[in-house]
Amino acid sequence: MTALAAGPREEGPNLFDVEVEEAAAPPLYPTRLRPLHIALGVGFLLAAAIASILVGPADLAPGAVLAEIASKLPLVHIHSGLSETGAIVVWQLRMPRMVLGGLVGAMLAVAGASYQGVFSNPLADPYLLGIAAGAGLGATVVIVEGPLLGQLPADALPVAAFVGAVIAVAATYALGRARSAGRPAASMLLAGVAVGAFFTAVQTFLLQQSSPGDLTVVYSWILGGLSTAGWGQVVTVLPYIGVAVAVLVGARRLLDILAVGDEEATSLGVRAERVRLVVIIAATLGTAAAVSVSGLIGFVGIIVPHTIRLLAGPSYRRILPLSVLFGAGFLIFADLVARTVVSPGEVPLGVVTAFLGAPFFLVVLRQSRRLS
Amino acid sequence: MRKTWAWVLGVTTAVVLGASPVNAATASAKAAPAATSATTGSFPVSVRSGDGTVQIPSRPDRILSLSASATQMLYAMGAGTQVVGVDKYSTYPANAPRTKFTGYESSAEDYLYLHPDLVIFAFETGTLIQQLKTLHIPALLLPPATNMAGVDGQLAELGAATGHQTGARQVETSLANFLAAATRTAGNAGRGKTYYIEVDPTYYTATSQTFIGAEFSLFGMRDIADAAGHGSAYPQISAEYILKENPDYVFLADTVCCHQTAATFGHRPGFSVLSAVKLHHVIGVNDSVASEWGPHTIETFVSLIANVLRS
Repeated sequence: MTALAAGPREEGPNLFDVEVEEAAAPPLYPTRLRPLHIALGVGFLLAAAIASILVGPADLAPGAVLAEIASKLPLVHIHSGLSETGAIVVWQLRMPRMVLGGLVGAMLAVAGASYQGVFSNPLADPYLLGIAAGAGLGATVVIVEGPLLGQLPADALPVAAFVGAVIAVAATYALGRARSAGRPAASMLLAGVAVGAFFTAVQTFLLQQSSPGDLTVVYSWILGGLSTAGWGQVVTVLPYIGVAVAVLVGARRLLDILAVGDEEATSLGVRAERVRLVVIIAATLGTAAAVSVSGLIGFVGIIVPHTIRLLAGPSYRRILPLSVLFGAGFLIFADLVARTVVSPGEVPLGVVTAFLGAPFFLVVLRQSRRLS
Repeated sequence: MRKTWAWVLGVTTAVVLGASPVNAATASAKAAPAATSATTGSFPVSVRSGDGTVQIPSRPDRILSLSASATQMLYAMGAGTQVVGVDKYSTYPANAPRTKFTGYESSAEDYLYLHPDLVIFAFETGTLIQQLKTLHIPALLLPPATNMAGVDGQLAELGAATGHQTGARQVETSLANFLAAATRTAGNAGRGKTYYIEVDPTYYTATSQTFIGAEFSLFGMRDIADAAGHGSAYPQISAEYILKENPDYVFLADTVCCHQTAATFGHRPGFSVLSAVKLHHVIGVNDSVASEWGPHTIETFVSLIANVLRS
């Protein structure tokens, strides 16, 4: 409950230690994006993307891979020397996996930052309103009850996960709004907890009735990963994630205003409830699309925005655009670790994001406090 | 029963392979489930269980099998008439008294309405076995076998526990004969050939250290996942590694859970260049082959491999 009552307290440099009376003061912090921040973000994303394309169990020569990519550029006429299989590895496996990782990472980071803004809650993450539970239930229904549902298409799972996530958040919103009583954000969070618990209970019941084989499949989906990434998935989720990210980044100034509280925002002419609804819809659709192709990858939506907040300040005018760059770069890098650390085996991506992210975030937090 | 079993096997392999059914020499070597067999052995008896030694005071007449593999063994050795219940995953033989039990129940009390005098598990789950001991009901834990010797050992323990030692030995001999005939039929066709067995579509697979891997090893085949194990018998590998290794054969054990087929496999990014796809060496099998080690599953799958290698 501490987190729910935090209000705009997280908007100070000392993220979790701001006094209540400080919260009433308007935020005084830089809001303009500095070129250095953008350069860092772009550099990190490019480094992760290039490493992701160059490294893999197929042991392709890095020079040949770069030549293969360059050979597709206009006016460049070189032969990479890669075999047909090597070219397929680059263009049909590594490239779409890198792009999908970037899209999912950007979406989760931006959604996490946005949720933290509209709910004034530093612990908010993209799965806050029941997306994880809804998507998990959708996936479980297809895996466990698939034989009873008749001949399903092979790609029924992502569709079911998407639909489950949207239904869960819609239920959360309907319940939270009906019981808001002047505290819409807190009511929404509590409704999310209730809906998440209910969906998880149904999922657990289905799993308890299922076979050990089904358990394995559901478990591997829950752990998240990009092992099946292809251009088809990129094309499927790109419109959702593209529009969602555009809407959320476009709302960055409004989220800064919401940080001072609903009443103050209203006095400044901002309709807090409407902003909250638009942000929730955009973050939900984008996150549901991301989850449908990647499973449940945790921690990205928490650590990326908070790391940016600690390094670049609390303004959403900085946090949201930088979350796109650093979120994409972080997940591409984490996926690179996931598929190389026990190569040619793989480690679940969700394990890597938490394993890498948690210590890194603690270091950043420690350095930030020391500097402040 | 022998005819029914042989027919099911023949149809299964013919449908999966689109090829001729198992030849007569191979089929004749198979062990069919026996309805009954002479009771042998004396009681009380001590048998080795996965969690220690279990004392069985008298010949069990009300056996509850919560392991699909143990169910197959019981019926094959002739102890079927002593079985009063099997778990929901025991699909063979078809006339086994199936229940809704999964082996993962929260309390042993659920089993009491069947009045079992022997309960068989494949997995240690919570405190079920301990609860049964408290209720003075013998519980036998027969964990997943990882090779044929493990199957033989479990047959021997089950034979002693149920009073069907002779029947158990007959199944063991019949199984050995069948495996010898199957490998002889395939000749050297599998030696050095590589395979990938898919447990789920995110590329979880099984190494040769698993039971299903041991079945391929009978034919001298090499598992591409062995290099990726790192201590895990069921590692996750990448699509890129599969492309690099370009396995000669692909077996999909996710046809039920995940609706995978040779067509869906071939349509995955980049997989159209795989030799197995081009040569139609992608074979869908029932998911249970990756998790069962009963004689029926073994014979069905091994004859499938033999047929694939011969075709």
